[in-house]
Amino acid sequence: MRHNRITAAAALIVTIAAAPSCTRTQTRVLTVSGSAVGREGDLLRRQIERFARSHPSLTVAVRATPDAADARHQLYVQWLNARTADPDVLQLDVVWTAEFAAAGWITSLDRFRPPVDDFFPAAVAADRWKGALYALPWFVDVGMLYRRTDLVPRPPRDLADLTQLARLAQDGAGVPYGMVWQGARYEGLVTVFLEHLGAFGGAILDDSGRVAVDSEAAEQALTYMRDAIHAERIVPAAALAWQEEQTRLAFQAGQAAFMRNWPYAYALLQDPSQSSVAGRVAVTPMPGAPGGAPTAALGGSALAINAHSDQPAEAYALIDFLLQPEQMIERTRIVGQYPARPALYATQALAEALAVSPSDALDVIARAVPRPISPVYHELSQILQISLHRALTRQQEPRPALQEAAAAMRALLARVKLAPPGS
Amino acid sequence: MTAPSPATVGGSWRRDEARLGWALALPALGVIGLVALFPIVWTFWESLHLHDLRMPWRGRPFVGGANYAEAIADARFLEALAHTAGFVAATVTLEIGAGLLLALALDRLARARGLIRTAVLLPWAIPTVVAALVWRFIFESPAGLANAALVRLGMAPPTWFADAAAAWIPLVLADVWKTTPFVALLLLAGLQNIDRSLHDAAAIDGAGPYQQFRQITLPLLTPALLVAFLFRTLDAFRVFDIVYVMTGGGPGTATESIAMYTFTVIMQNLRFGFGSALSMIIFAVSFVFALAGIRLLGGHAFEDRPA
Repeated sequence: MRHNRITAAAALIVTIAAAPSCTRTQTRVLTVSGSAVGREGDLLRRQIERFARSHPSLTVAVRATPDAADARHQLYVQWLNARTADPDVLQLDVVWTAEFAAAGWITSLDRFRPPVDDFFPAAVAADRWKGALYALPWFVDVGMLYRRTDLVPRPPRDLADLTQLARLAQDGAGVPYGMVWQGARYEGLVTVFLEHLGAFGGAILDDSGRVAVDSEAAEQALTYMRDAIHAERIVPAAALAWQEEQTRLAFQAGQAAFMRNWPYAYALLQDPSQSSVAGRVAVTPMPGAPGGAPTAALGGSALAINAHSDQPAEAYALIDFLLQPEQMIERTRIVGQYPARPALYATQALAEALAVSPSDALDVIARAVPRPISPVYHELSQILQISLHRALTRQQEPRPALQEAAAAMRALLARVKLAPPGS
Repeated sequence: MTAPSPATVGGSWRRDEARLGWALALPALGVIGLVALFPIVWTFWESLHLHDLRMPWRGRPFVGGANYAEAIADARFLEALAHTAGFVAATVTLEIGAGLLLALALDRLARARGLIRTAVLLPWAIPTVVAALVWRFIFESPAGLANAALVRLGMAPPTWFADAAAAWIPLVLADVWKTTPFVALLLLAGLQNIDRSLHDAAAIDGAGPYQQFRQITLPLLTPALLVAFLFRTLDAFRVFDIVYVMTGGGPGTATESIAMYTFTVIMQNLRFGFGSALSMIIFAVSFVFALAGIRLLGGHAFEDRPA
């Protein structure tokens, strides 16, 4: 019995050890990893099939990865740090490129002479590290304000107006929540904060790269967010544990008048088979506030090549294919993600695929604010998330919470020797 | 030429025997060395270096105790240590208390023993992550089971995972629910080792149920209680999955355990050197505790008891 088990274990180890070399030598499999579930997964597989048909010498496979960004990040770290050649092509969140490039895990794309000018400059900027290009934007995400047109007749003028309209809807129409956003302690909270911060005229890093989360504007923004939960009671306290999907589910069940979310939610909300608010939803930019301007956080994904891939040229060919206008427009039509090519916003094909008018979308993207580009972004964000969440759950007042975050972020940048000169 | 004396024959035979013994034990020792000792030594070596995956250009310089110095001065680490100690105290107390009651009840069971015991053990058999998810659903939504029940009882439930104090309740509850059966099983085995005749004799002498419990059951159950205490403490000290799934360490870092913090440092911030130092501290604390426990346990387990 025990012997059998040992033999089985040994056999298993041998199989595992031998597996990668087997697949490599038999056929050339080009692998791509990223969102592989639901509609997005179907779409990716369909596009890859099309690519494989025009490249008969290649076999392309999808490596499924977790849909949650943090979990995917961890898996990538395990793969890339172990220097595996597989997967060849990686779907990266917009804030990971600098980290992966600095670690030497993804290869520079400059030798392929990519047409960088065809993409949104802010998205391309996030894909550069020390002057070299390491990824190409696949789609862009921007934070938007969703509104129930039957409860709220017009979009809010500013954040104060949003509070008023949300309360009116709660008191008058009896909808339980005025507004829902992503308040869990995770990356999404930083994007929600970034939008409130921009509304009041603040930023995470100032123009010269110095930490600015302890500014007056930051305190106003965080105080507004906290009061929206605990004083005005337009945002439910439960949202402090919510990510995108929980807010969407609450909104599509008819429980909220407003919602902050990414473009993906639109198509799902308008689908009467799962949404009870289909046909009663409109999208506008997030509102501004005195001292700032309406702001959207810039999100999205980029495609990069594993530095240890043994077929980088083929990998680039696949990336180039996935970034062609037809593929991007199909992506917009099916999963609602916005193309990363500004030129497409003038086309009829995109106008038909997009939920909002292309010029409105272009306006929001043009004003979208990127998050800091840094190899330690993950840790900077984590420090900020903790302080934001402490203030929002009333463990700390906004001012000391932000001061603590700013001090910790400055100390981190100094420790890793990435602090801007003169700070 | 003298014939070898019987003593030397015996000696060499014993030496051969010893050599054979070592040879037979060698594969097992090798495996222990490979899977237990080697990783510990490696982690310790790693903890003496600055090793940050995000910045390969900084190399992997030897920094001595710098990572340990940083850990001692790190407020988040010390808080996590305090959270973990609180979690251990709360869960182990509740689990041993509830486990003892459960074991006593099971011990008295006359009918359908097997079936009821299996049913009681069920929570323990469910994977922790699954159990934690279910508990999160119970507490997460304002329309969830916990809140609905409390509202029906006329209470105003808190927003569990947005409240630094209240967030502990679902965590502790989930862990107690999950591991009490394990404690009960250990204690039940201890109870069944107690000779029935002791209770019969005590009953004849006029001892009531409480007196019998205090004078007979509890003293004879001490070794089993100690084993349960040791196992549960060491396990609870390394708590990760329940916290990871239910609160993610939040709100803020209010429920972050040291295992959770170490995971964040290594897997998210990619600071292998510093993370290894944190791992070594966890290891040292567990190790000292385990040694103390084994000492304590050894004293009781091998004591001669007139039974």
